[in-house]
Amino acid sequence: MPDNIYLPELARITYIKEEVPGERAIKTFRVEPLNGDSFEHECGQCAMLSAFGRGEMMISIASSPLVKEYKQFSIMRVGRVSAAFHDLAVGDVVGIRGPYGNSFPVDDWRGRNLYFIGGGCGLAPIWPVITTAVAQRDNFKNITVFYGGRSPRDIMYKAELEKLRGVADVHLSVDKAEDGWDAYCGFVPANVMDKEPSSDNAIAITCGPPIMIKYVIQNLSQLGFADEQIYTTLENKMKCGLGKCGRCNVGKDYVCVKGPVYSWAELKNLPEEY
Amino acid sequence: MEKILDKQRLDDWIAALTDWEAFAPAVEDGVWAFRPVVGAARLDHPNTKQPPKGFAFPQREVFFSFEQIKGEAPRLTQKLPDSKHRVVFGVRPCDARGTVRMDRVFADHVDDVYYQSRRNNMAYVGLACNKPPSAHCFCLSVGGSPVSSDGLDVLMTDLGDRYFLAAITETGKSLMTTAGDLLKMPAAADRKQAASVHAEAVAQPQRAINNPDGAPARLKASFKSPLWEELAQACIGCGICTFLCPTCHCFDINDEVTGSAPLKGNRVRTWDNCQFPDFTMHTSGHNPRPTVGARLRQRVCHKFQYFHENFGMHQCTGCGRCISDCPVGIDIVHVVNKVTEHAG
Amino acid sequence: MIDVQSIRDAARDLLAKGEVRAVIGYQRGSRGMLAEPVTITDPEQADELVWDATCFHNLALYLVEDRKALAHAQRTPNLPIAIVAKGCDARAIVVLMQEHYFKREDVYIIGVSCEGGGVLVEYKLARLLNGAQALSAVIDGAELVVTTLAGEVRLPASEVMADRCLECREPFPKEHNVVFGEDQTSRQLVAPFTALARFEALSEADRWAYWCRQFERCIRCFACRSVCPMCYCDECVVDSITFPVAPETTAEEKANRIRWIERSAVRSENITYHMTRAMHLAGRCIDCGECERVCPVNIPLRLLNNKMEREAREHFGYEPGASIGGPSLVASFRDDDPGQFIR
Repeated sequence: MPDNIYLPELARITYIKEEVPGERAIKTFRVEPLNGDSFEHECGQCAMLSAFGRGEMMISIASSPLVKEYKQFSIMRVGRVSAAFHDLAVGDVVGIRGPYGNSFPVDDWRGRNLYFIGGGCGLAPIWPVITTAVAQRDNFKNITVFYGGRSPRDIMYKAELEKLRGVADVHLSVDKAEDGWDAYCGFVPANVMDKEPSSDNAIAITCGPPIMIKYVIQNLSQLGFADEQIYTTLENKMKCGLGKCGRCNVGKDYVCVKGPVYSWAELKNLPEEY
Repeated sequence: MEKILDKQRLDDWIAALTDWEAFAPAVEDGVWAFRPVVGAARLDHPNTKQPPKGFAFPQREVFFSFEQIKGEAPRLTQKLPDSKHRVVFGVRPCDARGTVRMDRVFADHVDDVYYQSRRNNMAYVGLACNKPPSAHCFCLSVGGSPVSSDGLDVLMTDLGDRYFLAAITETGKSLMTTAGDLLKMPAAADRKQAASVHAEAVAQPQRAINNPDGAPARLKASFKSPLWEELAQACIGCGICTFLCPTCHCFDINDEVTGSAPLKGNRVRTWDNCQFPDFTMHTSGHNPRPTVGARLRQRVCHKFQYFHENFGMHQCTGCGRCISDCPVGIDIVHVVNKVTEHAG
Repeated sequence: MIDVQSIRDAARDLLAKGEVRAVIGYQRGSRGMLAEPVTITDPEQADELVWDATCFHNLALYLVEDRKALAHAQRTPNLPIAIVAKGCDARAIVVLMQEHYFKREDVYIIGVSCEGGGVLVEYKLARLLNGAQALSAVIDGAELVVTTLAGEVRLPASEVMADRCLECREPFPKEHNVVFGEDQTSRQLVAPFTALARFEALSEADRWAYWCRQFERCIRCFACRSVCPMCYCDECVVDSITFPVAPETTAEEKANRIRWIERSAVRSENITYHMTRAMHLAGRCIDCGECERVCPVNIPLRLLNNKMEREAREHFGYEPGASIGGPSLVASFRDDDPGQFIR
């Protein structure tokens, strides 16, 4: 950690891709530190991004820790700072500080079947785990990715998901049927139920809208997954990222320090206030 | 180190502390506040309206300034606090214990350089409460005492025409040493009188939390109690209780823009608080604590459960400010007692 | 002198007969003699209601809270809500109805006259009691009857009453469904705007220095705004960091919201906050004085609102809270309106 925890380092945007169009567009950004030497992170950790004059926002780091040259963020346009980011271009300089929070215990999952279940922009926080697992393919048994969006246009990381197919099972879905869509139609939890993943020697990692997470967990439990086999990542309003400003406090935890990654067993011990 | 100071010589002691900027309680427009000592300092205050927490954690603090010419990289300039030494006289024991709790928060996990650099240059000279300064004092219920020296550098006790001084820390010792001959060795009678003043102070009636040790577990069991909404019914959602609290530390960070071409401004920390309705609101509009009851529960449980689970002490020092200044009578002693009585 | 039992009986009756869904009134809290706001729904709770010189609060605030809760729950109640209202509280209710916040039939006003008195100020009482602790305080004619551990003390009411009550021109709730106590509107303890006139006697330089000192102290706890029944806006122009966000609020709306005032509690921002608030209360503030009472750092906010009130009175003959159907000060225009203030 630097001496001044609130002072961001400067980083240049080197890549921007529009993932999802529309009112709540999602764009993927890659940033590289100006001084060439950024912090290391682990799967599931976040960083505080600055658009100077607009403020800061806490965003999951979507690139694998194995990628050293840049950090990737997929950002939905929902607020003051994210709107400012969507107006930026390659070459622009932003601020970044981090990494914040805990991480997915990926090393403990060696030899297991991994199920990733994402919805909407909830693919980004679990994407570093997926790409890390794929890069270390021999360490894990089957890798399965469930992912859904409202419509085919709302599917992010399309090309990357297609590339996964060789090494992982990929089950896509959209909420509403549309011409030209030949994969599953329906909500993500239903798609999971439809494919009946086995809880045997398995870990399930889910992220998406709260209502999706709720039903995914319900369905996984029904399929025999124990609370300790289910992981998710919480979001809460954050300002400091260091367990001081008090905003993300849930029970005794500051989500920015003790979270954002929780097993369902751990989450059940927190007050329902997130 | 223990000494005696003639009350008439307090100003001389303060004057002798040439390396320090001195503050003491003064009243202006009916409000007691710590102000720079000019002329005579009198330590006859009840308690200040605000605790001394602002010395290390000011309500507004600039982290850095930014400047950006269009098309160029932004330039950031750190604004670290000055290194002036500041000493505060007349700090009440509850507020000094508040400082101890603030210290834990700002050093936990990682150091907060702004807080630390101010705090490291502070000294607190406390004044024991011979009588409770407020009808809502309850320091004895939360592990404190009207004569506690926790968090102080020097503890002063009013013995009528003189103060009995006890050095608590090395900084305290050096403040007292600087006074030279102004401070006298206490006689046996002085020590005896100080001890009896302390004993009387501790015996003064106060308000009481009935089962402070049981509070964490009982509050945990009461998370879903309907009492929270009932007790918060009259809450107007203002920030008095937290802004006047010696231990509340929540803050906001914003960019304040001062110019547009080139873009110029400051990144600023300001106090914030959990009783403002939108404190926890997500960008999406989802609010994990949407009701007055949920917000009262957060304030009370943070102080009497969550902080205790993390640091082994209550995050409340019994100063009573949130009780006496609540516009609608929400009373943390009553709330804790009522909820914990009905727990489980 | 008002018999509190009559208020309790009225509340109990209304609830028992199912004529109202709740009664907003005062109860004894846990802080010694002080009353605090309460909303009761059970006739059995009626005996907990109190009436004395510590019933400071303008309960009209809770009518606003009630409407907000109903709107949030998308509920339309079929019964009115009852409220215990002093003269100033009733005027606030009239302004809210004038602004169509709710209708006359939505509210059942249990009026209580302040008669010759009003509410006390804690520090004035403490000074007169010289350290003795008051257990109760009731106004009886021109006297405040205080019970202490040492017995009963009678003090001249005018020495402990709030300035707002001393200057009150209408201590009787004209708008009511039922009312207790005598109409003593003609009482004149202190001339209206006395405190304002005293302040305005200062030179401009002194007044500026005075306000700078006051606003320097503001900690922006927003208690003045939060306690004000007229500050009902969901989105407050002076609190521009945060504002209500719904799922349909667009990123543009969030991104483009102008920050008129920064969150920093510094003089420039504090002055803008209080000035803006005063302007928004012109013709609406009914001088309940709650903003000034709740201010933890003693900023004399009544002076600002009184100034606006007197301007409206002198220029337009306007009395806020006088008529439900009447025109509002800033939303109406007459050909003969004076224009000399336009410079």
